[in-house]
Amino acid sequence: MLIQFYNVSKIYPNGVKALNDVSLKIDRGEFIFLMGPSGAGKSTLIKLMIRQEHPSQGQIFIASRSVGRMKRKEVPKLRRNIGIIFQDFKLLENKTVAENVAFAMKVVGASGKDMRQRVPEVIEMVGLKGREDSFPNQLSGGEQQRVGVARAIVNRPLVLIADEPTGNLDIDTSHEIMELLYDINRTGTTVVMATHARELVKEVRKRVVTLEDGRIVSDLAAGEPLL
Amino acid sequence: MIVKNLGYFGREARLSLSRNSLLSFATVSTVAICIFILGVAVLMTINATYFMDRLESDLEIVVYVDKEFSEDDTAQLEEDIKEIKGVGTVAFVSRDEAMERLQKKFKSKEYNLSKTVGKNPLPDSYEVKASDPQQVVAVAEKISKLPGVSKVNYGQGVVEKLFKVTHGVRIVSMALIVLLALGAVFLIATTIRLAIFARRKEIYLMKLIGAADWFVRWPFFMEGIVLGTLGALVAVLLLGFGYNSLLGNLDTANFFISLVNEQTLLLEIYGALVVSGAVLGVLGTTISVNRFLDV
Repeated sequence: MLIQFYNVSKIYPNGVKALNDVSLKIDRGEFIFLMGPSGAGKSTLIKLMIRQEHPSQGQIFIASRSVGRMKRKEVPKLRRNIGIIFQDFKLLENKTVAENVAFAMKVVGASGKDMRQRVPEVIEMVGLKGREDSFPNQLSGGEQQRVGVARAIVNRPLVLIADEPTGNLDIDTSHEIMELLYDINRTGTTVVMATHARELVKEVRKRVVTLEDGRIVSDLAAGEPLL
Repeated sequence: MIVKNLGYFGREARLSLSRNSLLSFATVSTVAICIFILGVAVLMTINATYFMDRLESDLEIVVYVDKEFSEDDTAQLEEDIKEIKGVGTVAFVSRDEAMERLQKKFKSKEYNLSKTVGKNPLPDSYEVKASDPQQVVAVAEKISKLPGVSKVNYGQGVVEKLFKVTHGVRIVSMALIVLLALGAVFLIATTIRLAIFARRKEIYLMKLIGAADWFVRWPFFMEGIVLGTLGALVAVLLLGFGYNSLLGNLDTANFFISLVNEQTLLLEIYGALVVSGAVLGVLGTTISVNRFLDV
């Protein structure tokens, strides 16, 4: 098991109960959708995985390491095994496509040699060959998210977490990004994607976990029909 | 790791400096003003200390010998004085010498003091300096109890007041310098916080990607050092120029308070101020950047 949640609850300091006794197991190589309306607890689940928040109760393990008990200085190591894609892309506006991707490698201390080899490889993988020297504001939304994907996978993470990656994109572009994520999943990377776009989820045969009011209300294996 | 990334940190720092040129200018100005005021306070303290040291070391105990005392007894008295703990130098002034000194005070040569006074009325005396100026009162008291001493004079009353004043001045100036330094740190921290606030998204992203805290901090450190040093250099240039012109003007005016004019000491102070600027820059950066690292 790659990711394990055991009876996890999360109550924020302002009293909001975001997660209530959630248990969840995700295997290596899985592709899993987290569904549910906004406020259901999808974002909190993700924040707990990358140790942006601490669980109020329960245990979380990622690759057999307890995330809840992790020391502050161990957190960077955890996050280097997790690639994150954001709804708003979060690209650095003053850096080019190649620089944005290289930035993620630089941050984790990769050598110049590794970067020169790996960055073009990933940029080609996401289909942005030829746009290396463009700045984010010269790209379409779909292209910007491709940069986001490239940046998330450049360090070869165990898990790719996508938080509403298509939330700012039109339906055709969304499908392109989804294809990209399936490709990445096929190479063995576990993908966890939070979304409330039912139409994206319905037509593919993947595992779907639905959250409501901080609880898991359904966990459908790949191929089971959505309710 | 740090050495490997120095180029990157330097590049990031330079980029940030040129991108936020207005903020950088504000920080440099803040540091310059803080260091300038700090420097003025330090120079004033140094001069006050120098002046007070001189005042204190000028303190002298004058011991008048009983006129009935024979020459041998007087020599014995000198030995007795020297044996007292805390006594530095002892100089004998014979009554004839005392007369000559007095004569010199009357500038006009025509006036002959001995003619007017006739027989020399002055006693033999010793001029005693304490090895530590603070001990003057205690030493004087001990001397006054020796046999053959008719009178001891050390500026009774005035000396005690002088020590009170110099002690007070020392404490106040130290407190002032500490307060100014603290104020400077917080001013700089605030200015640098603005610069960091402009880049909080970048910091957030770096932390989520898995950057270690030190990796995020270093470019800001270098920025802080550069800004702090630049500001301090501006302040020290102004300070050095101002102080030197003051030195030149006061010398010609033959002012009775002479300013400290030891170039090595002054250079040390200026150097220390520049280093303080760099340290303040780093301190201010550390205070500010830590708030943004908690992601």
